[in-house]
Amino acid sequence: MDIEILQGPIAIFVIIGIAPLFAGFINKQKAILTGRIGAPVLQPYYDLLRLFRKETINAKSSSFISQISPLINFIVIIVAAAMLPIGYWKPLISFNGDIILFAYTLGLARFFQILAAMDIGSSFEGMGASREATFALFAEPIFFFTLGSVAFISGLTSIYDIYHSIRLDNISYIVFIIICSISAFILAITECSRMPVDDPNTHLELTMIHEVMILDNSGFDLFLYLYSSYIKLFIYAILEISFFYPFSAKSYLLGIVIFIVGSIILSLTLAIVETITSRFKMKNIPQYLLFATAIGILNLLIYTFTK
Amino acid sequence: MNNSLIPGNYLFISAFVIQFLAIVPLTILKNEKKAFVISNFILLIGLVLGLISTLSSKLFSFASFSSNDTLLFSNWIRLDGLGLYFLFIIQLVAIPTVIYNFSYLQHYIDQKRSIKSFVTFYIILLISTQFVVMANQAILFLVSWEVMSMSAYLGMLLEKEKEEVQKGSFYYFVASHLLVFILYIFFFLLHHQTNSWLLSDYHLTAATISLIPILFILSFVGFGIKAGFMPFHFWLPQAHPIAPTVLSAFLSGVIIKTGIYGILRTFQFLKPIPEWCGWLILVVSIFSAIFGVWYALAQHDIKRLLAYHSIENIGIIGIGIGIGFIGSANNLPVIEVLGFGGALLHTLNHAIFKSLLFLGSGVIYQNLGTRNIELMGGLVHRAKYLAILFLIGSIAISGIPPFNGFISEFIIYTGFFQTAKELKNYYPLLMLLFVVGLAFVGGLAVACFTKINSIMFLGTERKEVKHFHISVFDYISLGILALLCIVIGFYPQPFIGIVNKVISNGFVAANSPSALLNMNWLSITIIFSSILFGVIVLYFAKMQIHKRYGRRTSAAWSCGYENQSPRMQYTASSFADELNTIPKTILLYNKKVDSSKRVIPKPSSFESHSSDFVDNKIVLPGYSLLGKIISKIEFLSRTDIRYYIAFILVMIIIYSFIAFLWI
Repeated sequence: MDIEILQGPIAIFVIIGIAPLFAGFINKQKAILTGRIGAPVLQPYYDLLRLFRKETINAKSSSFISQISPLINFIVIIVAAAMLPIGYWKPLISFNGDIILFAYTLGLARFFQILAAMDIGSSFEGMGASREATFALFAEPIFFFTLGSVAFISGLTSIYDIYHSIRLDNISYIVFIIICSISAFILAITECSRMPVDDPNTHLELTMIHEVMILDNSGFDLFLYLYSSYIKLFIYAILEISFFYPFSAKSYLLGIVIFIVGSIILSLTLAIVETITSRFKMKNIPQYLLFATAIGILNLLIYTFTK
Repeated sequence: MNNSLIPGNYLFISAFVIQFLAIVPLTILKNEKKAFVISNFILLIGLVLGLISTLSSKLFSFASFSSNDTLLFSNWIRLDGLGLYFLFIIQLVAIPTVIYNFSYLQHYIDQKRSIKSFVTFYIILLISTQFVVMANQAILFLVSWEVMSMSAYLGMLLEKEKEEVQKGSFYYFVASHLLVFILYIFFFLLHHQTNSWLLSDYHLTAATISLIPILFILSFVGFGIKAGFMPFHFWLPQAHPIAPTVLSAFLSGVIIKTGIYGILRTFQFLKPIPEWCGWLILVVSIFSAIFGVWYALAQHDIKRLLAYHSIENIGIIGIGIGIGFIGSANNLPVIEVLGFGGALLHTLNHAIFKSLLFLGSGVIYQNLGTRNIELMGGLVHRAKYLAILFLIGSIAISGIPPFNGFISEFIIYTGFFQTAKELKNYYPLLMLLFVVGLAFVGGLAVACFTKINSIMFLGTERKEVKHFHISVFDYISLGILALLCIVIGFYPQPFIGIVNKVISNGFVAANSPSALLNMNWLSITIIFSSILFGVIVLYFAKMQIHKRYGRRTSAAWSCGYENQSPRMQYTASSFADELNTIPKTILLYNKKVDSSKRVIPKPSSFESHSSDFVDNKIVLPGYSLLGKIISKIEFLSRTDIRYYIAFILVMIIIYSFIAFLWI
């Protein structure tokens, strides 16, 4: 069928298109939960449009790194997004071993983000860069203990195949998958700089990680950074939602329904978590991440020995 | 001569003769500079000819060859797939370092320092290293090995009046002798079993299988010291930084790989290999990789930092070898091909980007006169292209796409997945732990290389730079290496093909599976190219948008404070502090914070320092303990020479007695 060839490109455009909506949706729910009216759901689009048309200001001490880093970030995040499945739609990039490429392309984005932060030569950005490097290190194992462990058990190495190898016929496997999805949720919170690891809303430089790294960017550069962070949030949301595709019983339509319902439930969960928790002290974050890693190890150990 | 791997053996021989001839101008010509330039030029020609003849071999063409095909002069010098591959690495990396010599040694000539002996030792080093991988006779192997080690040692002494040079080179000297001693035992045992000195004859029979563990341990320790596996690495971070940059680049890029060559060569003798050997290598390697990079993160000396990174990369290569061993023990050629393939390709890759980084750091050292990265900063505004070249090397060494480091790590990851898939049971769990370890290493490498790139090149100058000069030779040599990083990253197929040929020739059975070739290299090429294309397109779009909506520069935001000074920037210590504090007992990481809490504060200071655990807690205490024990027999020491002659006589009698009993 012709439509199958188009699935990949359509999926990637959908992800790029509705990523800001997802962020806006979380913010709206959060506002309602805290008793405010809040900004419109489409506010992220307005923000992006506004930034697009603003003048770009670069720090005097910055170099070509600050020029190319937003571009690399944006492109690389899109490439990573192109590896993710939407329901039973085959992603644009899908081959054996793409799980490794996925993790490492995000590493490329991080590499340039840290460099661009240090490029300014200000301590604020230095602090953020140092924290990003530290916490990313602890987040890396979680990815392999969640999606990676499913991959190891199924013997598959393509993200699409891994998710669709999940079966619901064995009770210990179901428990295993559920706990994996919990670890994945913690990973999503960390990587996307949400509460309780990082606060996307504050502008107090000393307490932040991601926001402080892009402090000196404006205009089109900030547009690209902000857009990539929306897409990144949505990428990790998809990583989480995809654990539930087996419920769709291989129906294309049901897959899409799960995708939409899953996004809504996940955004609500994120909004609730961000409403009821406060941000951790910086020194507690590694413990929090190691906790998620420990869950991953224990989970796999238990599964291996009860099989 | 019929089944020779290389069509023109004469070209090959003449390449070596020319390399030897490069010593001649140094002995004849009085003028230091003239002698050096002529000799270096001859050496370059010799190396290029050598590389051409290596490349014209069947290994690098489409023609297939069997394991009987060898480059054959005599039984003593023989090149098979593995030897040819390492010869290729040696010559490939030697050429840029020799080009770099033109500008690097010029600085020493300007300082009126004699470099004739250094160049001589460097030429001998290059030739003997090539002989190590060509030797098919144990004694010749050991002799070339020893010449290689000692010429590197003598080359290190170029700035021998410096205390750190004396200390570091002494470490190297001791470690080299220790390992050669182990290699002697290794080869004598092999000779004793097979009654032959030829490496190609070393095939263990069923009767000698019980010797495999001993031989394996001997080879792993002996060659492992050279390669720098932890905990045998203690000499490496002492010796590599103090050598002249061309030499440290060659030491870290190539010489430590002869250790890897030795381990792989041993593997060919020791079949069937027991599985625990693979596990031992895997555990030692992952340990080397994690702590190698963690130590690197704590360093402020750029060359010392890069030396620790060599340990990390040797660890990654070792992981590949370990997978290969496990595949071999379980008789699964697919795993074997992936493991050894990853290891071999990473050996090539590491040789390329490590020498790129070392040579780059040498340029900076020549200009600033310091190796301490805390005193650098803002160099991107002085030398943009150097920053780009160094950045390419950094991305490659961190194993991040789209450069060559990713390709070899990708193969190793695939090896892990394949092992888990083929050997079910508890293997998935164990393999996953190693995968997480490797991912952790990747994360640490990102932290480390963002640190050095940003502290050295970005921000503003911490110490004023008067002038910054980069010669055209520097650009050529760095450019060649950076280009190789890019080519292997974007288009790995030919290199994968070479590696696959090496493995199917002497590692696994002739009808080996093409697991390496069947990986989706085309997808990787397409993805990487589209990333590049996307960035370029977006760059032009960005320029248009800037034209339309404007762009200007302004001071960085600092809460309204205007007089930002370079000293207010984040330093290397502060950047890495959080990460280094975690394993501080192993890194021996000490912080000295001196801050005053008075109303009008005094100047405060912060210092962080890390020293090597193995060196400080095991080697040095062990050394002093040895000294104490030896001082107990000091009474034997006499000033009269006749006592010594008597001692020697007694020893000869004891030895002859033992030899008599042995026979």
